[in-house]
Amino acid sequence: MSEYVTLTINGAKVKAPRGSSVLDAALDYGICIPHLCHMRDLTPIGACRLCIVEVVTNGKSKVTASCTLDVQEGMVILAHTEKILKARKNIAEMLVAQAPNSRAIQDIALKCGVKQVRYPFRNDNCVLCGRCVRACTEIWQSKSLGFVGRGKERHVALPFDKRPEFCKRCNACIDLCPMTITPCPGPMKKGEEALCGLCESQLSMAQDMQDSCVDCRLGEGFDCVRKKP
Amino acid sequence: MAIALNKLDKILKGREGSSFELIEVLQDIQRDYRYLPEEVLRIVSEKLSVPLIEVFKVANFYKAFTLKPRGKHLITVCMGTACHVRGAPKFLDEVLGQLKVKPGETTEDGEFTVETVNCLGACALGPLVVLDGKYCDHMTTAKLRVLIQEVRGNAKKK
Amino acid sequence: MLKKSKNIMKTITNTNDLRKLSEKSKEENKKYDKIVTLCAGTGCCASGCLPVITSLREELERKNLTQNVKIRTTGCHGFCEQGPLMVIEPGNIFYCHVKPEDVSRIVSQTLEQDKVVEDLLYMDSISNKKIPYEADIPFYKLQDRIVLIQNKLVDPCNINDYIANAGYSALTKALTTMNPGEIIEEIKKSGLRGRGGGGFPTGKKWEFCRKAKGNPKYVICNADEGDPGAYMDRSILEGNPHAVIEGMLIGAFAIEAEHGYIYVRNEYPLAVNHAKIAIQQAEELGLLGKNILGSKLSFDIKIARGGGAFVCGESSALMVSLEGKVGEPRPKDIHTTEKGFMDLPTNLNNVETWANIPFIINKGASWFASKGTAKSKGTKIFALTGQIKNTGLVEVPMGISLRKIIYDIGGGASNGKKIKAVQTGGPSGGCLPEKLFDLPVDFEALAEAGSMVGSGGMVVMDESTCMVDVARYFLEFLIDESCGKCVPCRVGLSRMLEIINDITEGRGTEEKLNLLEETAQTVSIASLCALGKTAPNPVLSTIKYFRSEYEAHIEEKRCPAGVCRELIHYSINKDKCKSCGACLKACPHNAISVKEKVYIINDEACQKCGICKESCKFNAIDIK
Repeated sequence: MSEYVTLTINGAKVKAPRGSSVLDAALDYGICIPHLCHMRDLTPIGACRLCIVEVVTNGKSKVTASCTLDVQEGMVILAHTEKILKARKNIAEMLVAQAPNSRAIQDIALKCGVKQVRYPFRNDNCVLCGRCVRACTEIWQSKSLGFVGRGKERHVALPFDKRPEFCKRCNACIDLCPMTITPCPGPMKKGEEALCGLCESQLSMAQDMQDSCVDCRLGEGFDCVRKKP
Repeated sequence: MAIALNKLDKILKGREGSSFELIEVLQDIQRDYRYLPEEVLRIVSEKLSVPLIEVFKVANFYKAFTLKPRGKHLITVCMGTACHVRGAPKFLDEVLGQLKVKPGETTEDGEFTVETVNCLGACALGPLVVLDGKYCDHMTTAKLRVLIQEVRGNAKKK
Repeated sequence: MLKKSKNIMKTITNTNDLRKLSEKSKEENKKYDKIVTLCAGTGCCASGCLPVITSLREELERKNLTQNVKIRTTGCHGFCEQGPLMVIEPGNIFYCHVKPEDVSRIVSQTLEQDKVVEDLLYMDSISNKKIPYEADIPFYKLQDRIVLIQNKLVDPCNINDYIANAGYSALTKALTTMNPGEIIEEIKKSGLRGRGGGGFPTGKKWEFCRKAKGNPKYVICNADEGDPGAYMDRSILEGNPHAVIEGMLIGAFAIEAEHGYIYVRNEYPLAVNHAKIAIQQAEELGLLGKNILGSKLSFDIKIARGGGAFVCGESSALMVSLEGKVGEPRPKDIHTTEKGFMDLPTNLNNVETWANIPFIINKGASWFASKGTAKSKGTKIFALTGQIKNTGLVEVPMGISLRKIIYDIGGGASNGKKIKAVQTGGPSGGCLPEKLFDLPVDFEALAEAGSMVGSGGMVVMDESTCMVDVARYFLEFLIDESCGKCVPCRVGLSRMLEIINDITEGRGTEEKLNLLEETAQTVSIASLCALGKTAPNPVLSTIKYFRSEYEAHIEEKRCPAGVCRELIHYSINKDKCKSCGACLKACPHNAISVKEKVYIINDEACQKCGICKESCKFNAIDIK
């Protein structure tokens, strides 16, 4: 079996290593598919659904997330159809309404063409992308964090909400959190949220970490060094 | 109050190291202790070789489990579709209003816990309320008030 | 009622022994003059069948009739509205609403003198006549009961009863005359499709799993019936667990699976217990274990109790849950037939699907395929509930019209009101209006209309149901039961609920309704699993067929059905009021006052609990 497969993404013939995801193949080729929960080296979970694409087989198309979809020989992917763009924009709108203070999410919303948020802002901050959970479990093998509760109760928590002794205080969870990546310079107050549209930074560039990060809930359980006084 | 652990030993017997049994073990603990005490769960995590966070997650995910002790009396209001169209939300409001709790909570005096269930499959008898395992069929708001008062009254007499 | 397993004779190791046991059990039944069948399903238990059974047993002992009369306690017969139910054979005499005090009359008149006790007979509301025989009751007569009728014939806690009723003969046939390929071919030819919701062709699924690489393979019975208003799976597992086991055995033989699980809701204690007893008895008899009936088939079944999570009815979530973890669905780009439980090939079907297998093997694929429509074959059990006269389980051929089920079998509305909709398919289905009641009930027709067959719940709604409120109800249900993993389902649904709450509380606008529709579309396109993808169906279907109700809430701030609290007011109709004062006494919120015999409801104090309306004998409380 060849180590590479060839597939078509948005009409372009893309060669990708067998076993890689459609999302990675597209990004490597230079096709931008917005994404939030996906990070290389972490198991994909398909939670944010921003990276949805249409897979066309025998003339029928199926919508699925590209991060959890493995490349296959001859696969036909449409990542920017009208249907996809509309749904993706709506998802980005939902996300930014949940966490208007996250610069990473603001950027995504902007890229997806969100100009107006029709849902009331919620200031939940955490959008359950699970980067922290997976980094803790998979990279550090610490298993200090997890998704707890289901449905609307789901949140990221420590066991019994207490920091376990096996937590290594590596702060990887905070470094990877979309609330803390290049934080928005001025956290918005409740009732004053708006999309300013000024930022356009890349999502995963964690440079220029500022001392005063936004008020994320993670820090509370951790004695986070960056926790605001 | 220290928690008796001999019941736990019985539950865990022969299951050490088998992470697959987690849900079944928690079911048994819930049955025997009526809730999932933290110290018990810590032991379960160790004995079944399941990370503590997994145990915590499972305990929080499934409706059958509670992390706080339940009240002496359990009122379960069926919220299935058939009961809903026959007026179940009104009864739930009534129970909650009377006992001043939210679904899943226990009254301050520890007498009642109110829970909802998404269908018991006894739709012909709806609207249905289960009081301590007894099915009370064709409920009305007035009947429910009386029922709660009776249980309350009995408790006071004792 | 919880029973203990009865002691059973020695293991049987070949088909001959099984046949002999079947004949012996049949002979034993013939010793009795009469068999009294009592339904002891969850429904009848709740309406009080257990005291009836006890007093019948005592009465028979007192009269020394235990040698002549056999009491058979069975699972659900389906006609739950009339419970507790009793059928006396021979004679097919049907008694309903039986109470302990009726027992002595039943014994002295029917059992001893073959006379019918008139007042215990079923009264047909259309002809206004009493019907003495079960087979003549329209509710039963118009059905085509293949799977469900077995419930009446066997004691679920006695394997011999099942064997006497040709039980395990399909397994014998499969093991001795067919090879796995032929079995799969037969199931494929029958056209059987999954009864759990998706309607995936069962034979095809088996074939995928058989061809998949990996060992051992697993067979799972999904009894995590979470759809509110559907309880056929519970009834089958409670009433006839051996049919499910036999189906699983045949499936295991065809797929070459070694292990099986029955994943059952913990809210169904009776089903759990009966399934446990059935497995134990089958093991003792050698029908589960190594080299079953002398063949090369070795298969065991374990029971796993669900923890109360609707999402675990989804196959991939169920399998993770079986592994002792949180039941979150995983993306379905790889099928569970290839990588399921423990990443091994796994074939999952629901209870009703498994229970159909022995019949198809015994009677042949063409017999099964002769029932139903072009693409939906066989019979399907529906749970008819809501504002309908004959609540209960109904087994009908696929393709029968909704109207026939609701009016002819179901007897129409329960309270003389007009039926306006039926909700099918549970939280993943939709609401269909009365004008579509001539639709044939099959997988395609209902899906096209924006609903689905689903697991077979049918909740009938009359004019007193607000369709916006129904949509809200399902959203609340789904938000509670969503695993919360993906954004469209978790956030999208809660945003939809936010908007619906605005509408039902008088803050709705046209723009919000449009946003509701757009969000619903996004959720159905982009969600991770089938639960999320189908979650907007109740909202979309009610907007499609009952838009006028939404508009009344939005434009006129009025709830036409008088349900939505914020938009209704209770008042006393002076013309009907007889000044009896019952409402005043009943009101727990002191919201009713009286002045010179004129009763008035104080709008501010009124909590809209409805107690006054319940207490009024003259129907003088209006809701507007």
